[in-house]
Amino acid sequence: MTTDLTTSVTPDEPLSRPTWAIWLADHPLAVLSGVLVVLVVVTGIIEPRYLSVSGLRNTVLLAAPLGIMAGAQTILMLTGGIDLSVGMIATAAAYVAANQSPNGAAIAIVVGLLVGLAAGAVNGVGVGVFRVNALIMTLAMSAILIGLFTALSFTVLQGSTTVAQFIKTLGGGSFFGNRIPYNALVWAGVSVIIIYGLRRTGLGRLLYAVGDNPVAVRLAGVRIWQVHIAAYAIAGLLAALAGILLAGRTGAVDLQLAVSFLLPSVAAAVIGGTSIFGGIGTYSGTILGALILGVLATMMTFLDAGQAIQQVVYGGIVLALAWLYARVTGSS
Amino acid sequence: MTTVRAEGARQGFDWQRALKRHGWTVGAWLLLIALIAFYATLIPRFGAFQIASIAKNSMPLVFVSIAQAIIVIAGGIDLGVGALLIFSNAMAAQMMDGQSLGMSLVIAALVIVACAALNGVVGWIITVSRVPDIVVTLATLFIISGLALIILPSPGGGTSDGFRAIFTGSTTGTGTNFWPSLAVMAIPMGLAAYFMRGTRVGLSLYATGSNPMAAYLSAVNTARAKILSYAIGGGFAALAGLAALAITGSGESRFATGSNFTLRSVAAIVLGGVALTGGIGSVVGAAAAGIVLFTLSPLLSAMGVDPNTAQVIQGVLIVLVMMIAGMIHLRRERAG
Repeated sequence: MTTDLTTSVTPDEPLSRPTWAIWLADHPLAVLSGVLVVLVVVTGIIEPRYLSVSGLRNTVLLAAPLGIMAGAQTILMLTGGIDLSVGMIATAAAYVAANQSPNGAAIAIVVGLLVGLAAGAVNGVGVGVFRVNALIMTLAMSAILIGLFTALSFTVLQGSTTVAQFIKTLGGGSFFGNRIPYNALVWAGVSVIIIYGLRRTGLGRLLYAVGDNPVAVRLAGVRIWQVHIAAYAIAGLLAALAGILLAGRTGAVDLQLAVSFLLPSVAAAVIGGTSIFGGIGTYSGTILGALILGVLATMMTFLDAGQAIQQVVYGGIVLALAWLYARVTGSS
Repeated sequence: MTTVRAEGARQGFDWQRALKRHGWTVGAWLLLIALIAFYATLIPRFGAFQIASIAKNSMPLVFVSIAQAIIVIAGGIDLGVGALLIFSNAMAAQMMDGQSLGMSLVIAALVIVACAALNGVVGWIITVSRVPDIVVTLATLFIISGLALIILPSPGGGTSDGFRAIFTGSTTGTGTNFWPSLAVMAIPMGLAAYFMRGTRVGLSLYATGSNPMAAYLSAVNTARAKILSYAIGGGFAALAGLAALAITGSGESRFATGSNFTLRSVAAIVLGGVALTGGIGSVVGAAAAGIVLFTLSPLLSAMGVDPNTAQVIQGVLIVLVMMIAGMIHLRRERAG
């Protein structure tokens, strides 16, 4: 029996893999960057005009809100959670920001962000304190927000369909000779904070730890419920920010504003290599994932592909990349 | 081992154990009965029409919930069941338009087999690629929804009157004859329940979901169990699509419909006592919870609540039930 085990499990198995596979496993971001470059080049072949400053600017403009929303998803997936309410939190925040726009852009943005923070914190209390499954908790939150804001859109929020000019500029405008979108600037700022926060701060390390081994973390004296509440509140905040930027880009707010971003936000994090089981992943990967999805969306527009084809290609890419990941990293 | 068995035999039927094992399933049905009884007191005339309406309109959600329950019990989760629903709906609506009843039934069987095979492939991809279920099925949610949209680009198609009557009890889709709907709902549910609890293969799904490693070491073919659970789930999702076609009389392939059904199926199974970690729960409980979730909307509208507030209340109720369940679980854990 013992001999069987030793012969069947060869200790030097990883060495038998080709060198390139090991290199790729150590540098997952290289794979993603490669995919991104290939997609950009292919899009350029389809539509030569795309390979210009304004073409790439459009992709970043598309990807920024998605990237921020995917940041929320990344943080939660690191803890082993997920947020199916990001789409509705974003929409809700945009609605409230539109409602507060007459009072000035600053107040509109702050109040909008507070809505996200509050909704996220409630999610966190449900998941962290009452141990409701994250899927169910955030799903229910989404249903609650849909009902609430549909009702409010007929009463208090009636007529709140456009946001302040500053938010429009922030979400859809560009500077530096119309080359760099403002929302990319916001995204860059958020990225720096998330990446630094995840790597260097105590909370950031705790997010990884909670996702990796909650029992060990609890035995080490951490109050896990506080970590959960913090994580979901931050996620709500990021979703709200994405929603406000999105409202600025489209110029108008309606109940469908950000709902279609929910599944892509999960997809971007997954493409970026964040494990849905927690403990593994980086925000850098998610950024590349959001950019890949952005290029893909642009490519589909150029190809004049219908919504149906888009969905099939979209799903295919997610599946293919996830499969490639599992293969290359050999995680089983 | 033998002494334990002898003790159990002496006691006869062990009520405590039965209650512990099936408590949640029984609770879900009691909740359903209570809700319907409450509903009956709210409206001036509760009769065959209301029963027929609930039985028929809850069918798609019930079938999708059964599909999700089988897959989750075997240790997976399928975000693509809603997509399969609209896929089967689109395919059947496109092919059944203007056909006879006999032909419609043949097409229905083909659609079910096709969806089962398709989702079996999804299960196979999960076992081969070792990519988490939730990621693979997130991708197939998009892919299968896209395929549905290609088959049926705009709402339309149709089915035969006889086919509608089988599911809804009348050729127009509205009526007071509730027996066909109840039968069409109960028979597949009964078969699924028997399969899961009464057959070796069904029990192997429970074993796989409960502890895949232990199941594998006990010579259960866990890969086959996973693929099978997805295939059967696919068949039930197809049935849900057919039921939706029979109710409305035409097909529709909106992405939002699919993702919405997926989300509601997850809520339904959890409410019905199926643990998302696998191996725990029953198809029967999930079915009851599916009807409960559907019944909430006519119930709340009978109470004079407007639909938007009703949605808020539904969400809060789901969270409350899960909180209470979580507390019970926590207490049990702490008690030993």
